Amino acid sequence: MNNVPPYLIVCALIFLGPAAQAKLEIVATTPDFGSIAAEIGGSRASVTTLAKPTEDPHFVDAKPSFIVKLNRADALVEGGSELEIGWLPALLDQSRNSRLALGAAGRISCSQGISLVEIPATLDRSRGDIHAAGNPHYMTDPLNAKIVAEHIANALCQLDPKSCDVYRADLKKFTLGLESKTKEWEKLLAPFKGQRLVAYHNTWPYFARQFGLNIDLFLEPKPGIPPTPVHLAEVVSRMKAEHVRVILVEPYQNRRTAEAVAADTGAMVVDVAQFPGGVKGTDKGYIELMDYLVNSIAKALSEGRK
Amino acid sequence: MADALSIMLWPLIACLLLPGILVYYGLHIVRREIIFVDLALAQVAALGICVAILLRHGHDWQTYAWSLGFTFVGAAIFTLTRTRDHRVPQEALIGIVYVVAAAAAILLLSQSAEGNEELKRTLVGEILLVQPSEVLRAFALYAVIGIVHLVFRRSFLMISFEPERAIAEGVSVRAWDFLFYVLFGFVVTSFVRIGGVLMIFSYLIVPAVCANLLVDSLKAKLVVGWLTATTGSIVGLYASYKLDLPTGAAIVCALGGALLVVAVASRWGRKAGRGSLRSSERA
Repeated sequence: MNNVPPYLIVCALIFLGPAAQAKLEIVATTPDFGSIAAEIGGSRASVTTLAKPTEDPHFVDAKPSFIVKLNRADALVEGGSELEIGWLPALLDQSRNSRLALGAAGRISCSQGISLVEIPATLDRSRGDIHAAGNPHYMTDPLNAKIVAEHIANALCQLDPKSCDVYRADLKKFTLGLESKTKEWEKLLAPFKGQRLVAYHNTWPYFARQFGLNIDLFLEPKPGIPPTPVHLAEVVSRMKAEHVRVILVEPYQNRRTAEAVAADTGAMVVDVAQFPGGVKGTDKGYIELMDYLVNSIAKALSEGRK
Repeated sequence: MADALSIMLWPLIACLLLPGILVYYGLHIVRREIIFVDLALAQVAALGICVAILLRHGHDWQTYAWSLGFTFVGAAIFTLTRTRDHRVPQEALIGIVYVVAAAAAILLLSQSAEGNEELKRTLVGEILLVQPSEVLRAFALYAVIGIVHLVFRRSFLMISFEPERAIAEGVSVRAWDFLFYVLFGFVVTSFVRIGGVLMIFSYLIVPAVCANLLVDSLKAKLVVGWLTATTGSIVGLYASYKLDLPTGAAIVCALGGALLVVAVASRWGRKAGRGSLRSSERA
């Protein structure tokens, strides 16, 4: 609301006066969902995001404003499948908003309709921070983003049937843009099919699957467990044996660990993020983020080949 | 304002009800000059929580039991090390218990996926998201402990404030000391889960120091201490709401600010007092 120039509000009031309606207040847990909700909601919705793009989505610091925002929201867009299990339930408890209750129309859980990978056969916490429903970092695959956008549009139509046509038009625009970009991205990464990359945390299985890469070597010995010397030595020797040249690190992960491994192996550290705004130049939205990811990874892989 | 109250209601109730006993314990601790004993005991309690996390004990009471068990061990250590041996001051041992417990917590949590998050939680707690049942349970417990202290106030006060006299009168200092630390262990264990290590230290020490600066009798100290704790809580909670800051840390800083105000006021007051004395001498 704050960055709308006052004269626009005045104009809007004059021209739309009688027709003007209250905006849908949408809260998104992480910026990827926030940016897509903003694309679909357009001018009919005001979207706020709880987690910062540089924050670990599994652990977000609760602040009083989160409770206020959740208390006033008409809709909550969440990743679901245990992505926010460490912090969201207590906040929702405190915010006492029945519109966001489980099963209510305002509770938009984006993992519905997504087929998740890495669903564990048995639940055993000794294997690290694993998720019963599968790996929740599904937004790094643009095809999943398409499903999520559609899911959000459907939910907004249900909440605000009068504006449904607008939401559908926004959805179409977003989807078309995403589809043409996806073709471009596939072309960019096609020369590197089957190549292996190292990541700090197991964030990228969906990205890897979509673009035919192998991102199955991690600096963490188990998801969520900080790197240990023995494990890092193993990673280094595997990287040398297989000529792995790229290490992916997200903003909230320990870059120095990755730099040390890179120095040992001659690999390159590439700063990546799951969320728009997590790395410089990606704060415009989901498509810009994916554009950055694909381009920087393609660039690193082609430099590593020389 | 109504909005602030609806969101901060239970944190506020927690910060008004629970520090009462902490302020009282703080007076004992400042007097005994074992300032860091609470930090050490809180850290030992946190270490117990870490063990429970690592053993994947899901139930609340199991976590509490681990935390309490560890605290009792800490209580025993501090009881046995209260000596007048000047080669090894008790403060040194307290410091050692603190750093070893903190380091052990890091070792344990490095084995757990939620390690970093839990480490931070043991420091600043989650006062913003405190559950009403947690607050009420802790308050009931504190009420019982308060009554024990009230009934046996003569012995408890004597072992802290006049240990020489206690020994001369044949009071068993060790036994009372152990009881003192065990009850303190309950207080710390309950509060560490709500407010974290930093907050518990602030509620214990800051009001007691303010009280010592301003007044002399125990009753007056309690009143000043409670006023300081209450003011600090309200200012901290309000700042946290208004400026959207992490709540626990905001309260700790507000208490620090309260001490600054009191220190300046007492300095100024003493100077003014001396000034008037001098002018009356001249007259």
